[in-house]
Amino acid sequence: MLLLLLMQAAQTTPTPPPTSYVQPWVGALAAWVALGFLGLIGVAILYYVFTGKINLSGLISEPTGDASMSRFQLLVFTFVIAASLFLIIASSTPSPQFPKDIPSGILMLLGISASSYLVSKGIQQTSPEGRAGRGPEVKIAAEKNLTTFGGDTIQFGAEVFGIEDKTVLWTILDPPGFGTIDADGLYTPPASGQPDTIVIKAASKEKLNVSDTESIRVEQAG
Amino acid sequence: MSFAEIATLEVSLFLGVLAAIIGYRLLTGQINMNYLLYGIQKGGARYFSPERVQLLLFTLGTAMFYLNDVMQHRTSGVLPDVSTETLALLGGSHALYLSGKAYMMLFKKPG
Repeated sequence: MLLLLLMQAAQTTPTPPPTSYVQPWVGALAAWVALGFLGLIGVAILYYVFTGKINLSGLISEPTGDASMSRFQLLVFTFVIAASLFLIIASSTPSPQFPKDIPSGILMLLGISASSYLVSKGIQQTSPEGRAGRGPEVKIAAEKNLTTFGGDTIQFGAEVFGIEDKTVLWTILDPPGFGTIDADGLYTPPASGQPDTIVIKAASKEKLNVSDTESIRVEQAG
Repeated sequence: MSFAEIATLEVSLFLGVLAAIIGYRLLTGQINMNYLLYGIQKGGARYFSPERVQLLLFTLGTAMFYLNDVMQHRTSGVLPDVSTETLALLGGSHALYLSGKAYMMLFKKPG
């Protein structure tokens, strides 16, 4: 945009008033320096984008990893309006001219697009699923953290975010075989033994590396 | 070459190359487009989202019609306006998308 303004200024720069202390060549030099500087920035940006140092892979992605429709439409309208504005300026006859005014319809179009994006993000932040920006995740919870040998069972639950299959696999991680846990996450302590802290693990069946653990304590009865 | 010609060339190259890179990466999947037409409902399950499909169609349609308008009036020096009817349609499309998203994400229970 600054370049477009510079281009416009170069076309319409009036003769400095007699009282000006700035020589005309200073203004021209400043414009050329600005043009060169902005050109270098443009080249650097394109170079970094091309080489992947500016990573565009998540340009329209949500924190969950899914592509976002609200980001996509904002990208489309931003590009279309920017390209249109440039095309109008560059194609103006007899010389490039910045439009005298921007139609209110364009401003409303951009307003709708950007507002929709903001409201969409607001809805997302209101929901736990929308805030699950840590990628695929399993969250485990126990109904209580203490039981006794031969005592009450403990029901574990697991929530799965960002993965289609919500099934989890339950295992007793440490110490292995210290009691049993079934496919529904119901832990049954052993009948006897030494008091210990048990680590239970729930792993996504679809992505076994996505898991969470929870510790409980098994004490002697009485 | 004059200052205006060089500036025009500079902006043309920047916008053109950037658009080409983004377009190419969108088409080849290097920019993630997975589940663009899917939403997440309360509980975390994904669902195919008709409200996203209609927003996609309205977005691309409006963008293409506007670009066509610009191409036809590019020498006028005036940025073409967007009609009130188009804005109303686009606004309605966005309202539908946001309502659907809010309902599914905040209220709709799986099953």
